Amino acid sequence: MRKLLVGVLALVVAACGGPSATPAPTAAPATTAPTEAPATPAPLSGTVRVLIHQNPPFVDFMTTFNSKFEAAHPGVKVDMEVVNANDLAAKAQTRLTAQDVDVIDIFAFDKAVQPFMKNVEAPGWQKLIEAGLLMDITDQAFVKNYDPASVADAGSFDGKVYAVNLGRVGYSGLYYNKDLFAANGVAVPTTWTELVAACATFKAKNIGCMTAGGKDGWPIFVGAYGLLGSAFPDQAALVQGLWDGSIKYTDPAWLDLLNKYQVYDRDMMEAGASGVAADAAPGRFVSGEVAMQAGGTWYAAAIDSLKPTFQWGYIPFPGSDNAADNTFMFGKYDQGWAIANDSTNKDAAVAYLSEFSDPANYQAFVDAVGPIPTQPNAKLSSNLGTEIAPYLATFKIGFENLWNGPKGTGQYATPMFANLFKPFGPFEDPAAAAAQAQADLQAGLDAAK
Amino acid sequence: MRYLFGNGPARMAPYLLVAPGLFLYLLVAMGPSLATVVLSFTDASGLPRLPIHFVGLDNYKEFLTLGAASKENLQALVRTLLFCVGVTAIQFTFGLVVAILLNQGLRGTRFFRTLFFFPVILGVTIQGLMWTLFLYPIGGPLETLLNWFGLHSEFLGGQATEAFVWVMVVQIWANMGITMVIFLAGLQTIPDEIYEAARIDGAGRWDLFSRVTWPLLTPAVNTNMVLTIIGSLQAWQLFFVLIGYRPGTQVLGYLVYATAFGQTTGSTAGNTFRQGYGAAAGVILFLVVLAIGITTQHLLRRREERLLG
Repeated sequence: MRKLLVGVLALVVAACGGPSATPAPTAAPATTAPTEAPATPAPLSGTVRVLIHQNPPFVDFMTTFNSKFEAAHPGVKVDMEVVNANDLAAKAQTRLTAQDVDVIDIFAFDKAVQPFMKNVEAPGWQKLIEAGLLMDITDQAFVKNYDPASVADAGSFDGKVYAVNLGRVGYSGLYYNKDLFAANGVAVPTTWTELVAACATFKAKNIGCMTAGGKDGWPIFVGAYGLLGSAFPDQAALVQGLWDGSIKYTDPAWLDLLNKYQVYDRDMMEAGASGVAADAAPGRFVSGEVAMQAGGTWYAAAIDSLKPTFQWGYIPFPGSDNAADNTFMFGKYDQGWAIANDSTNKDAAVAYLSEFSDPANYQAFVDAVGPIPTQPNAKLSSNLGTEIAPYLATFKIGFENLWNGPKGTGQYATPMFANLFKPFGPFEDPAAAAAQAQADLQAGLDAAK
Repeated sequence: MRYLFGNGPARMAPYLLVAPGLFLYLLVAMGPSLATVVLSFTDASGLPRLPIHFVGLDNYKEFLTLGAASKENLQALVRTLLFCVGVTAIQFTFGLVVAILLNQGLRGTRFFRTLFFFPVILGVTIQGLMWTLFLYPIGGPLETLLNWFGLHSEFLGGQATEAFVWVMVVQIWANMGITMVIFLAGLQTIPDEIYEAARIDGAGRWDLFSRVTWPLLTPAVNTNMVLTIIGSLQAWQLFFVLIGYRPGTQVLGYLVYATAFGQTTGSTAGNTFRQGYGAAAGVILFLVVLAIGITTQHLLRRREERLLG
């Protein structure tokens, strides 16, 4: 009995006091005596725990990068977790709170609260900073590798830098299959009427017009951002207009937009698109079953990797019948890096981001993943770079990343965030959808008074 | 009086032995529940160093009365009750029918018993993945079947009502095995002699069921009823896995999760965690479950006393 008790106690002690899964970094020995030569930094050690979101080319790139980082720092192990993009915020907060992560992939600091907004929740990134969970990286050397505008717009708060942003992405565009267009004698559409006609041609030949990932409710609706962009090129003004009541969802311009959105849902999107996962949409597009894919620039790398010989182009969604209105690309600052303020291995975390941010490594990242670079000397040399080059000068941050609605608004107060029309959504009448959206918004605005 | 552990101070031994378990129960089960109630009166976001402010009943007022969002919350409550009634009625009936069939001693009983119970051992993610593939709207099995008749459906990604019904189907499929096993266990406790005596008295098949099986199954009926009602009121994981947070499909359990963990938009942008508000929604769900659970138990106990004495 005594032996059993001793054994159980030994197990408990071992369980409670065993070595940590993440050994603390080896601290450099304190030196009191002056030295003539500068001290060599202690070699890095321990584990760097990294959290990133699922995007196959990015995951592949990071896996290779991690191997290189480990080879360069034999005492360091990289422990990387990959989660779905929709789960990233929850997972990051949980792991930051548990002091269980060193480096996190974090989306840009968007939806910032503007002076005219009342009764709104501060965005998640702001709360992370206010809780002291993100490290102030203002003085880190690697930050200077990035375009100062991106650092200020997408990773700073109250004059301090908490994240570096790795690139912008456009989300209001359309991929098109060049071979299918040529084989069917269809010209690349520059207006809404041409797009409708192109879809009719393809459907008549039993080819789906376009696809998009709809399984998770996202990003099937992003094609509508192109429609929105054609109708409201200044989306910051649109956000303010909706807040102050000078723009209403029931206005004729918005009704026209919803009429087109209905055509997009009902006639353009392929049947069954709601079951296609976001990651699977490029596969549908490359298969040649559909002529176009509505989606962001982040799919370019996946399309190329699925079929390197596939000939595709990328254009802003032609939502207007005036071709000049269809020359804007809307998008956002996308993913970035931040370091946990409570990281137990800050030296290694800083080294990790320093090496990632090295211009050569960053260029390799851009080549593999395909964002519009935020390092000034990096070049998007891929097909996407060529396709998107004409629109970079007029690139604008889109509605999704600017809008922050008051508490109490209904679920259709931001109608661009949902599939509205049948067969994917509940509405058949654009006027009814507009009325519902305005009622949902007005309820929130009234509550904020 | 003689105590098991002897008289004197040793009398306290049973209480001391129970204490660690009781302490653990209070810590692990009651602790988070009480913390949730406390949290529901604050603006907590779940971040450790952010100041937490006491906001009184503001979260409850917002949930129940503020703007259009509060109407949607009440719609989610109604949807939760519909889900509960639908799932309970169908799962209970199917479970009973299958248990009776499997209790006939026919060939293949063990195979079918395993088959019907099999979904229970799968996790929600696996269950969701299987049904997502089955209902895949481009060339999936059911879509192919519909195509033969010139029909098409978006299934889980289509109309909210249809998606909601499919989640009910999966919930029933996933949990009917437990209902069946509980009924089966109840059926096997009924002695054959009672059936024999009833048959001698001229009872037909329906009489055997309504006058022998059904009354004597009362303990199993009660257990199944309570488990299914509470399980379906709290169900949200299948909604999360199968359809995500979409207008017109939310149930209260999912609403709690989505608001607490920033999942209320289809976007990755600026997700905000509102754990105080989510806790208030959780307390409201708890009160709904409590009211329905207590009422159900009370009614079932009265029925049991009436039937079995």
